[in-house]
Formats: sequence, C-alpha cells, structure tokens
Amino acid sequence: MSIKLNVIDLPKDDYTGGKSTLCPGCGHDQISTVIINSAWENGLKPEMVAKMSGIGCSSKTPAYFLSKSHGFNTVHGRMPSVTTGAAMGNRDLTFIAVSGDGDSASIGIGQFIHAVRRNLDMVYVLENNGVYGLTKGQYSATAVKGSKKKKGDINKHQPIDLCKLAVNLGCTFVARSFSGSKKQLTALMKAAMSHKGFALIDVISPCVTFNNNDESLRSYTYVKDNDLELHAYDYIPTYTPIEGIEIPEGEFHDITLFDGSVLRLETIGSDHDPTDAVAAMAALHQAEIDNKHVTGLLYFDSNKSTAIEDQCLVDTPLADVPDEVMRPSAASLEILNTRFRGKD
Amino acid sequence: MERIVNDFQLNIATANGTGSQSANLILLHTMFSMGVPVSGKNLFPSNISGLPTWYILRVSDRGYQAPADRTHIQIIMNKATWDDDIANCLPGTLILFNEDVKMPVDRDDCIVIGVPMTKMARGLNPKLGRMISNMVYVGVLAEILELDQNKLNNAIADQFKGKARAIELNLEAVNLGRAFINENVDTDMIPYRIENREMDDDVFLVEGNEAVALGSHYGGVGLLCWYPITPSSSLAEALIAYIPEIRTDENGDHLCAVIQAEDELAAAGMVIGGGWSGIRAMTATSGPGISLMSEFIGLAYFAEIPSVIWDINRTGPSTGLPTRTQQGDLSMLYEASHGDTTHPILIPGNMQECFEYGWKAFDIAERLQSLVFGFSDLDLGMNNWACKGFEYPDTPMDRGKVLRTQAELDAIENYGRYRDVDGDGIPYRTLPGSGLDPILYRGTGHDEDGTYSEKPEVYQALMMRLKRKMDNARTWLPQPVLREEVEKEVGIIYYGSMENSIQEIDDILEDEIGRKVSQCRVRSLPLSPVVEQFIRDHETVIVLEINRDGQLYGILRRELPNELIPKVHSAAYSDGLPPRARHYSELIKGVLKEVGQ
Repeated sequence: MSIKLNVIDLPKDDYTGGKSTLCPGCGHDQISTVIINSAWENGLKPEMVAKMSGIGCSSKTPAYFLSKSHGFNTVHGRMPSVTTGAAMGNRDLTFIAVSGDGDSASIGIGQFIHAVRRNLDMVYVLENNGVYGLTKGQYSATAVKGSKKKKGDINKHQPIDLCKLAVNLGCTFVARSFSGSKKQLTALMKAAMSHKGFALIDVISPCVTFNNNDESLRSYTYVKDNDLELHAYDYIPTYTPIEGIEIPEGEFHDITLFDGSVLRLETIGSDHDPTDAVAAMAALHQAEIDNKHVTGLLYFDSNKSTAIEDQCLVDTPLADVPDEVMRPSAASLEILNTRFRGKD
Repeated sequence: MERIVNDFQLNIATANGTGSQSANLILLHTMFSMGVPVSGKNLFPSNISGLPTWYILRVSDRGYQAPADRTHIQIIMNKATWDDDIANCLPGTLILFNEDVKMPVDRDDCIVIGVPMTKMARGLNPKLGRMISNMVYVGVLAEILELDQNKLNNAIADQFKGKARAIELNLEAVNLGRAFINENVDTDMIPYRIENREMDDDVFLVEGNEAVALGSHYGGVGLLCWYPITPSSSLAEALIAYIPEIRTDENGDHLCAVIQAEDELAAAGMVIGGGWSGIRAMTATSGPGISLMSEFIGLAYFAEIPSVIWDINRTGPSTGLPTRTQQGDLSMLYEASHGDTTHPILIPGNMQECFEYGWKAFDIAERLQSLVFGFSDLDLGMNNWACKGFEYPDTPMDRGKVLRTQAELDAIENYGRYRDVDGDGIPYRTLPGSGLDPILYRGTGHDEDGTYSEKPEVYQALMMRLKRKMDNARTWLPQPVLREEVEKEVGIIYYGSMENSIQEIDDILEDEIGRKVSQCRVRSLPLSPVVEQFIRDHETVIVLEINRDGQLYGILRRELPNELIPKVHSAAYSDGLPPRARHYSELIKGVLKEVGQ
C-alpha cells in the first residue's frame, strides 16, 4: 500500500509530534490532531512553520504536533511578544501559536491585545477550558458566571470573552469553535492558516479532569447541547479546482482568503455576515444571555496591513540578509564623522 | 585684577521648558569650538515645563569634566529657586541675575550684577520675551568672558538650523546682552575669561546615547523594541533617526525593524524572539524596565538566546529620581532573574567605547548565545562629551556557532542543541526556517538534545556548563584599562562614567596628601583575571562607585580568593548628581587613614 502524500509530497507522519502527556480525553489533544491534519492538507512546509506557546496545559501541546518545525515554549502570557520579534526576523515563517485562557485572558491579556492591535500575521489558537489545569483546577478569567467546576464553589465573576475583545480591537479573523466539532474546527483552522493577519480561533476545549461535570457550562455534554453554529463550512484549497466542489443545496457565500483558497459559508438558520462587526458582537452577546456557545467565523477583514507590512522591511527575511548588507559601509561612517566634526 | 582663565564653573538656574537648553548648548558649543576643554551637565526635573533646571558648565584647561567643588559664576533666572541659588554662592562668586524677576539679591561678599533681561528681550519680541531672555545672558557672558563672536554666531546658526528669523532674533538678543555689559559694567573687576586653545579639530561633542545607537547600527541591529523611559528614550530615538540614512536598501526598504512595545516585558520578549529567529535584536531601558524584564532575562540565559539590552541607569530604587544619575543597577544586571544566572555586562567609559560596545554587544551575545547588557547611565547617556571620532568595526561580525546547512550539521558528531561538543561550554544552534534539527525551545529543564528533563544529573550538568561558558568569557570580554604607578601601594578600581572624574580625583590625592595611586578601569563583567592580579599587586585597593552599597565591591568580595578580600575597600557614594571628585577623594583619604597608609 502506498503512503498517501499531500500536495507537496509529504506523508502525514511529517506533521505529527511527540506523544501527549495530557489527561486522556483532553480536548487539547483533539485540537492538536486538527492542527496536524490542517497543516498537512494545506501543504504547509513543516520547516517554514514556527510553533509558539506560553505556559499551561495548552502551551505544552506544540511538543505533540509538527516535530519538524522549530518551536518556542516561552514564558507565561508572553508568547505574543516573542512571536512578534521572531516575525520581524523571519517574515517567511508561518506562526502557529497555542495559548490557553490563563495565558491569554489573565497574565498575558496585554500582549494578546497588542498583537491583535498590530495585526501580527499568525494563527492564534486559544484552547479555552475555563480552568487552570496545571495548578489543579482554579477558575480562569473566561469561566462563565454561574458555572461550577468539579470541586469548589460556583464561579461568581463575569467572564472575559476574548472573541468579543478581539472583534472590538479590529482583529482580522475571529472564530469560535469546539474541540468536539472536528469538521468545523478543521475548516476554520485551514482558513486561519490561509489568512494574512491575526487569526484567532477560540476553541472551547473541556477539561476532563477539573471542569467536565454536569454543573459546568464548559463540559462536553453542555457545549455539545448548546452549540449555536453560525454556518456550515467547507474549506476549498487553492489546488482543488473550484468546479470540482459540490454546490450545496441551500444558500451559501464564499470568502476568498489571502493565499487564494476559499472558505465556503453555508447558511443554517439566520445568515450571519462575518464582515459585520456589530452582527458579530450581537451574536456573542445574545449567546451569553442565553447561556449558549455561538461557534463559527464571527468576523473577517481582509483589508488591513500586517505588523510586518507596516515596517517597510526588505522582502528577504532579515535573518537571511548577508552580514555585509546589515552592517553599513565604512564610507557611511566617515560621512557621519565628518558631519559631527562640522567639516561637511 | 588677576585673571582666572579657563578654570571655573558656571551654574545657570532656569525653569525647564523656557528654551534655556538652547541657550546653554550655544554656550557649550561656543566654548568647545574655541578649543577650550569644557563639559556641560544638564540637571533637569522629571517634568515638562516650569520646574527648576540647572546647567553646569565646567571649564578646565586640565580637562576636568565633573562638576567642581564650587561655582564661580551663578546665573539666576528662576524665581522658584532664587533664595537657595543665592544662598549657595560662596563668597567671591559672580552673580548675574535677571533684574525683571524683581527679587532681592543681598550679597555684599559677591560680585552682583543685575540685568533687565526680560525687558530687553520683550523689546525685541513681546511674545517670545521669556525664551529670548535666555539669549540675553548668553550675550552678557560673551562680553564678560570675551567669547569669540564668530564662534558664537556659528553655534547659534547650528542650534537653529536653517531658521533665519530665529537666528536673527537670537543674535540680536546676544548683542543686547553684550551692549548692556559694555555700557554698564567695568569688566576689569571680574577675573574670569575664556581664551582660545589649540585643540584637535577632529574632536566633537556627542551624547552617549547617540553613540550607542550608532554603534548598534554598525553592529547590524535588525530589530529595536523599546518602551519609552528616561534616560534611555533618546538612545532608541537616535537609532530610529539614523535608519533612513544608513539602514535602507536601494529601494528604500528598511534593514532594521522598530517596535514601540506595550511595556518593557514585551520589549524583552520581542528581543528574544528576534534573537531566536537569527537576527540581532536589542532594547534600551533603565532600571525599572530591567525589573520588569527579569523573567525574560532568565529565559534568554537558560534557553541560550542571543539578546542585547542597554541599561541607561537612573537613580533608583523604585521610580527614584528619574532624571538623575547612578551606577545602582550593576549587581541587579549581573544576576538578573530568579535562580542562578550570570550575564555579561559591557561598561563603556567614553564616547568611543559607547559606539564600540554598541556593535560589540551583538558579537558577544551571538558568540556566547546569551543575553548581554550594555551599562551606561544618565550622565554618560544624556550629556555631551568630547569624542575623537567613531572607529569602524575592525572585525567582521561574529555570528557565533550557527549551523546553516545540512553539511555543517552532519559534520558534527552527536549533535544536540545543548551539547558541548567543543568543550568551551558553547553549543551549536540551528535557526527556525532552516529545517535543520528543529527543537521546541523551552524555559523548562532540558537535556543536551533540548528535550524536557527533570533528571537531577541533567539539570546540574547543564547549570555547570552555563557557568563554564561565562567563566571562559572573562579573558576575552573587554579587558580593564590599567594605569599603574611604580610604587604599587594604593590601587583604585572604578568603572563607567566615573572615568570623567578620575583625573581630578588623582590630582587632588597627589596635591593634598602626596599620594600617587594606580588605576584599574573595569570595562566588563564577569571580571577579568587582570583585576585580580591588580588587587594582588597593590597593598590597598579602593573601589569607587556611584551607588550606596558598593555593588562592584560586593561582586569582588564574592569572587576574589579569601586572602585578597581584607585589602579591598569600598568608596561608594550617590546623591543623584554626577560624581564630584571631592566626595571620592575624601572617601579615599578616609580609607587610607583607617588602614594606616
């Protein structure tokens, strides 16, 4: 039996990683699988991917996918700044970052906000379970008010919704998904990888150890029963002729991504327009009132310049520019010395 | 009256935001262009407008650059500090004051001259009267001190580059000041004069922060991330200002990225991200910024990422005195972050070294695969200093042990990211995007292949290798500068901006107690073995520092062999102002008395 290869002739094994050390059944592992499948099917070159993370259960996962890519498991809440610096050094890398709700909604919320503000070109996967796992189950800032984890009191504080925050900040790609919705998450992940700019996917990923009980609004059962999907999605890659794709029976519209691939949004229920920030906020707000989880592509904007574009840098990644180009000439220093001496 | 030529100190008391800085710089540049050794110190408040500022001009044929024991000419413009400024004058001081402030000057023991500066300035331009009144004192001083009018004209033209009206107006104000003295004052009763001197006309004035910024460009910096903080902001701003001229390609595209970060934590993270990706990245900050960056500093040390941070030291602790100087961050830098760490520190003492260490910091960071600090201070960074010219780097960039091809990787037997294959404590690395032996970098414990490990023997071996790596650098980091006497009795160890006071300290000791002392200027940490030898060779060694606790002294006590410790003494002092020779010469005398020398 021949091994199945992707569009750049690599087997899926080239996209896998080490064995997970997370709890059996953890939603994060399902997300890692989606990242592996999406990167393989999209034909990303593993060596041109950089895996970035902060600290926490979620941030351990870059060890479990894409072992042929360099990665950096940085410090708690500060992954966005390290990614920003690395992007300045090598503009050709595709950054796939994993963070958690402690990392992004508490200790690192400032860095999250500013990476969005700069429209740093990266995929930002937020593995959101509402609790701190590694420190044994404390509520995080995204825990829903009134929810109850396995041990302890009901959460009294209102949550920080990072999708709402991102829409408000003008984030260019805002999606919410559920680790149990493999098809939806895969389409969104592929679209995020094809997007130019900051792509947030806030993935509700139940913590099987600390937050999967009946009273929790982040348990598998609760999320599954209360998932309001905005659309059904098909991701159509650049290498598949669009004519070959089956046209859905109902209404749909297409979003063309930066690399030429297409995300097809099929209408189910009310038709959400992902270019409408007010509609995105309304959908999030209503879901919160109803104790539901709205999932899908909430907001999309393809017109903003990225952090790299704003720099007016040379096309070659700075890390590849030869030393003799990076160091100005001796003649230029002579000109400066002469000017300082007032002899010019 | 007997004249005192090129050997006195002026103190100009104004309020900030009134344009006095332009007037003071014009005075400085005029005297400097007359070939007179002169230094200017701006003592400014942490404020935008209206609070007291003093500018100290030290004129010294002997080349002394630190503030002197006393002021000889006091200019008084500021109502808020009027009484104190007058009370601080020693008998015999020439007091020049703005008569229009209508405050009394009751000093029979001084030479007191009132000038209606505001009135004269308003006569020229009613709206700009307050600003121009500062130029009136420039004219007053020009007439008394006999400043060269051509040089003064040039200095004014340079200061107000291309603005014809401003140049004209300021010149008129100077002329009014000159005329007033000419008509009303017998200058023979005033002893102070400036006389032309022959000086190497290659020498120019520049601020330390600008010198570091330029040096960084000649080190090929690819990323500057910064968060504004006094007194480092002017370093970042100078670096940015030079990009269009010297850091663009033929299309005008930039070779250096700049990010004004959301805070110092982010700035440090970006530097580490840049270093990890294979470029030369830096930030500039001050003590409070270093405190915030500490977690990342430990990551750079432990994950071995080349990074450069310039600390322009201001007076701590906490927010401290934000616009005053100190060498109070040294011990923090040396061991910044939790756990056992050591960071190389480069300590320039003059403008040429500010430039040199600007580029060299990157060579050292990449060679050691570690974070390197540049250590300057507000005095060196934000004041003007004489510079003989910047020297182009004499070596190609040292990019360290980076494997860029499969063949290079294959040539290493048993490669591992953190394996010491050469026995020098420094491993090889590969870059993201190369596809060569990728690993997940981490701040957690790791083995020689970069894989997570909590094994005791793996952790201990890693920590000892990191220590070995730094210890090996002691012999090739910038070595101390020694000036040794034949009789090796007393040795002085000092560093950084203390360089500008050392000659005067040396002369005081010789004049007053007949002592000739050897000097050792430390230019990097961890310390060179040359420092230990210097201590061994001298009977008594005194460490001069601009801080309270004697921070280098503390490092010496920990690192020196026990038998040498008793002969090392501390002379540490800090009040926020630049170091004055008198304070240190007295401390040294005290130590010598104590040890019976």
